[in-house]
Amino acid sequence: MKEEFAETRSDLVSAVLAGSWRKSSLPLLRISESQLDAVTPLLYGSGAGALGWWRVRETELRTTPSASVLQQVYRLQVLQSEIHAEKIRKVFLILRQASIEPLLVKGWAASSLYPEHGLRPYGDIDLLVRPEDYKIAAELLARPETKDCWVDLHEQFSELADRPIAKLFERSELLPLAEGTVRVLSPEDHLALLAVHLLKHGAWRPLWLCDIAVAVEALPPTFDWDICLGPTDRLAGWIKAVIGLARDLLRADTDHLPASIKAGEQPSWLIAAVRKEWQNPFAANQPPMRHPLPIADQLKSVAGLFGALRERWPNPIIATVSVNGAFNGFPRFPYQLGNCALRAARLLWRSPASG
Amino acid sequence: MSQKRIDRVPRARTQGLVVHELPDEVLVYDKDRDKAHCLNQTAALVWKYCDGKTTVGSMAQQLERDLNAERVDEKVVWYALDQLGKGNLLDDSVMAPGILAGMNRRELLRVLGVTAVVAVPVVASIIAPTPVQAGGSCLPSGQPCGTSAQCCSGLCSGGTCA
Repeated sequence: MKEEFAETRSDLVSAVLAGSWRKSSLPLLRISESQLDAVTPLLYGSGAGALGWWRVRETELRTTPSASVLQQVYRLQVLQSEIHAEKIRKVFLILRQASIEPLLVKGWAASSLYPEHGLRPYGDIDLLVRPEDYKIAAELLARPETKDCWVDLHEQFSELADRPIAKLFERSELLPLAEGTVRVLSPEDHLALLAVHLLKHGAWRPLWLCDIAVAVEALPPTFDWDICLGPTDRLAGWIKAVIGLARDLLRADTDHLPASIKAGEQPSWLIAAVRKEWQNPFAANQPPMRHPLPIADQLKSVAGLFGALRERWPNPIIATVSVNGAFNGFPRFPYQLGNCALRAARLLWRSPASG
Repeated sequence: MSQKRIDRVPRARTQGLVVHELPDEVLVYDKDRDKAHCLNQTAALVWKYCDGKTTVGSMAQQLERDLNAERVDEKVVWYALDQLGKGNLLDDSVMAPGILAGMNRRELLRVLGVTAVVAVPVVASIIAPTPVQAGGSCLPSGQPCGTSAQCCSGLCSGGTCA
């Protein structure tokens, strides 16, 4: 039987991940065993394998070989999340002993909104510290005892460049972790960061849109949209576009959102761009990529130039963000051309001949 | 000597382990050996009873109570202890009575003569699925790769699948 939505690989990804972040009230999953076989490598390869298991665990597909693979991923991630939590505790303890209060960003903070931490994998521990604490924090985290903690230390996040660091700390919250606490961004700043991060990377990873969906469905009653959307219309438009994507592609519940946030259809190119990425949601397909020929060789002929352009033609989402463009219905060609021009300028600037 | 071993009271290992209980199984990560295990309910219960005081006979009785089973043969407990020992989840490995040494699950079922009184204890290794297991169109050796998950071999080395 042909299913209404299961037309392409990206449609399958959407179907399986729709509502997968919920503890209950998951939408009915109507895919066949062969469709689960087809989507399993996409989920596994993009970090959404555990969510895939969460989705099929109470369906008749739970006993299939592909479900077993997803369950195995889930089990591993559950254990990994325990190990990561130990490392986070250790890092916070070390920094706090030096009177440095870090902010935990993405990773564990994003996973804390899911029914279980193990459903949302992460690698690094992203920490934000106040600029005046950065040097000492970096020294402390370079010590042998924290070498296995994979800390990515930041004194700022480009995604939140529109808001002062002091405000991020002022609005931040403490979440319990074992016997202690960890400091995370406010729900407003967290949602803004996740949305811009997703766009900056071309929305290739379905898991990032699940992060948006779970955050949107878990908004506290005190959520302040003015803080989340920030002072510029451009950024506000980006965040709204991402929320729209979560609604349209993953069936995130947006009914409770203000009309000004959920209103409006997504531009067709945006949905198409994300679907294209989800056909093969693997890190190796993302920039910076390896190309078979160096660009200098390809530029020696007109055919080579077009070949180089075709290989390096940017994802329209990344192109839009790179030139600070708007996510509207206008064609993306000018943005993509602008992105190519920017990259070419950077390449020329860095090339030895220019020096 | 053999009788002495049978009477031993096993103790579960506690150091160097990360343990996570799920509704119908227990996950254990061995930090010293970098190995993960999944214990089904029967194996997890036996592991829980291993407090260094409880005998195998008492463990069988506790299993009967906890699993609401009419009768649990001590062989089930011995088999669980054997599995737990092989997974390095006991402080000292326990030597099973001769009849059970090296027995696999199917053989245990045959010895017990039952199939579904209680679930046979299972301590399974958890291994990350390879791309082949995941059913993906994995890359063969020599092909350019970005991550190990893309390779059929499971290893991306220097940008090329091993």
